[in-house]
Amino acid sequence: MKRDVHITARDLLNAMQFREGDLGRIGILSGQPQRIEMCLEILGNPIKNFSAFGYTLWTGEYKGKRVTVGNGGMYAPDAALVTEIVCEGGVDVLIRLGSCGALRKDIDIGDLVIAEAALRGDGVTNYYVDKGFVPRAERELIEASSSIFDGKNVHYGTIWTTDALLRETKEIINRIIKEGAIGVDMVTSPFLTIANLYKRRALAILVVSDNLITGEMGFFDIRFFDAEREMVDKAFKLIEAIDA
Amino acid sequence: MKVLFLQPPLGGWVTWGRHIAINVNHAQLAANLREWYPEIEIKVLDCRALDMDERKMIDAINEINPDLIYMGDALQTTGVAAIAPRYKRAASLIKQQNKDVKICVGGFYYGANAPQILKETKEFDFIIYGETEVTLPELAKELSKKDPDIPSVKGLSYWDRGEVKVTAYRPLFKNLDDLPLPAYDLFPMEKYIGFGRIRNYVETYHSRGCPNGCRFCVGWTNYDPRGNSDWTHYRIRSAKRVVDELELLERKFGAKFVVMMDEDFNVYRPRIEGLIEEALKRGLNVKYFFMGRAPYFLRDKDLLKELRKAGLIQCLFGLEAVDDETLKKIKKRITVDEVEETVIRCRENKIGTVITWMVGFPDDDERAIKDRFERLDQIDPDIAALQMMTPLPGIPMTPEVEPYIEERDLSKWDFQHPVVRTKYLTKEDLGRLAAWANREFYSKPGRMQRILYSKNIHLFCRLAARSYVETVDAHARAATKGEVFV
Repeated sequence: MKRDVHITARDLLNAMQFREGDLGRIGILSGQPQRIEMCLEILGNPIKNFSAFGYTLWTGEYKGKRVTVGNGGMYAPDAALVTEIVCEGGVDVLIRLGSCGALRKDIDIGDLVIAEAALRGDGVTNYYVDKGFVPRAERELIEASSSIFDGKNVHYGTIWTTDALLRETKEIINRIIKEGAIGVDMVTSPFLTIANLYKRRALAILVVSDNLITGEMGFFDIRFFDAEREMVDKAFKLIEAIDA
Repeated sequence: MKVLFLQPPLGGWVTWGRHIAINVNHAQLAANLREWYPEIEIKVLDCRALDMDERKMIDAINEINPDLIYMGDALQTTGVAAIAPRYKRAASLIKQQNKDVKICVGGFYYGANAPQILKETKEFDFIIYGETEVTLPELAKELSKKDPDIPSVKGLSYWDRGEVKVTAYRPLFKNLDDLPLPAYDLFPMEKYIGFGRIRNYVETYHSRGCPNGCRFCVGWTNYDPRGNSDWTHYRIRSAKRVVDELELLERKFGAKFVVMMDEDFNVYRPRIEGLIEEALKRGLNVKYFFMGRAPYFLRDKDLLKELRKAGLIQCLFGLEAVDDETLKKIKKRITVDEVEETVIRCRENKIGTVITWMVGFPDDDERAIKDRFERLDQIDPDIAALQMMTPLPGIPMTPEVEPYIEERDLSKWDFQHPVVRTKYLTKEDLGRLAAWANREFYSKPGRMQRILYSKNIHLFCRLAARSYVETVDAHARAATKGEVFV
């Protein structure tokens, strides 16, 4: 191998003719295209300024702040890739709009979970950090979000990230609950891990799509759709509130 | 003589949620009766609107003590033929209490099948054969006489010494502008609610029949088969009269959303031009919906912008099928491209779109239905209203579909349960495919966000869409497990 690392995030940015300052200081990432569409409806004058491997970023304005919005991957490997690209591209504040399954009976479909930290059940972060590393959301962002994401339907806690959606067994889930997780997703761990490594401010906001305790599925439930809308609107309120 | 217009306890289409609409057929007949025979006393009991169960209904009827009770609908949207077992049960309960009260039904489903249904339903004394507008008031008048001459009332099926008889054919009422406006003042207008959410909601209709006469259409069942394809004799209220009604509804009853249930509102361009002119001139704020045909919408595409200004926020047009052979067989007389372009033009003008489509034609197999859905999905209306083939007697297609009927329980003849099989699919297959298609349409990322939240679509349209999204599971239970909602 001629290089220590074959392809870096900087290589990808350069290949796309990236210029410093193309991306905003604030980034919103989501794996679901409809959430990106909703964000783009809010963003003023969005310009597509990065596109590779099917991952696209737009940058526009919101209340005087430059904000980058893009599809940040649906699973740990692609989430790691996009998170690293936006960190390398100069985004300081990363907000993830995702979804999760609830690991507590009282967390309903359509509730929101703010991930304070992640348990790393994914494979990709092992390539970035040691086994004992605990990825965390930035405390100031969590505090800022608490006045915007409030009410009975908002929960704060740890998210377990898995690579195997169809292997969420009773045995594994009981163990994960004992370790303190209140939700399970497929992205938060690499998202926070890489943001932490780059010393970026990061927060993951997740809408609850199902409940592993009750067995309820809500992927097509109107409460889920409504909560997605609420999550997007409040994410922009958070952007307005934070110093960035 | 006291006539009671009775809407017994009744549900509704599962996809429409807790939808409680005025029975505009009752309102129209009450108006006719009041104008033509003012000496007859009129009472209205809408159990659905007043949330009355059967016991309360009977108590209320005992108190009113009517001489004649009428039940019936002009519109398929009340629940297609699933209304019939409800009306029969109500009649049975009423007769247990009072054998002397006369009960008449009419309108949708009954109109084409009066003698046949009467033979099977001893609880009814009369069934109107064909249009109800004149027949019901004349029957009431006749019954008020000391010695009624029932055979003189045209367009009626009745019992005569244990035998079902029919009277002479009643010609169609020619000029709808000669009819008074529906007697909304007699109804609990504040109780009506569209799609479980829209208050100040009214349903009405301003025409009779449809000139196109699609071979599958249940609208045929309003009409006496002894006529000359009466369903295709299209008659309208003039634009001015339509706006008179909108104005009355807005100014007197506070209506905010009026759904015009005419099968085909936009047949004549001058009427659409007149509607725009009158509505704008009078400065109406009320919003409305109408049903029409894609080719007519395209003919009038230059009017869509003004129509939106004049209050049109949502429209419906039929696709039904997407292959030329089926469209020809059902005599739909549209092209798929016309439907697609209509969606585009409406969306450009911020007019919401509803498309009806069908499954259950005799030649339907899984591929045909999946291909049909795929095309519908591409066309991408805001609401897709799936209607399963429901071959009621009186519909031109029924004789060829009759051999495939597998469900005789009329409580399931509401478009949302499979009642037939096809040459290649079981009834259960059809239900499963219908449930699949409905779920697929109302879970597509991007579409959900558009129809539920986009400000380009009027709030009332978003609320209607919300009802479809919320009821996906319930629709699946109807389609695959037979759960009844009407």
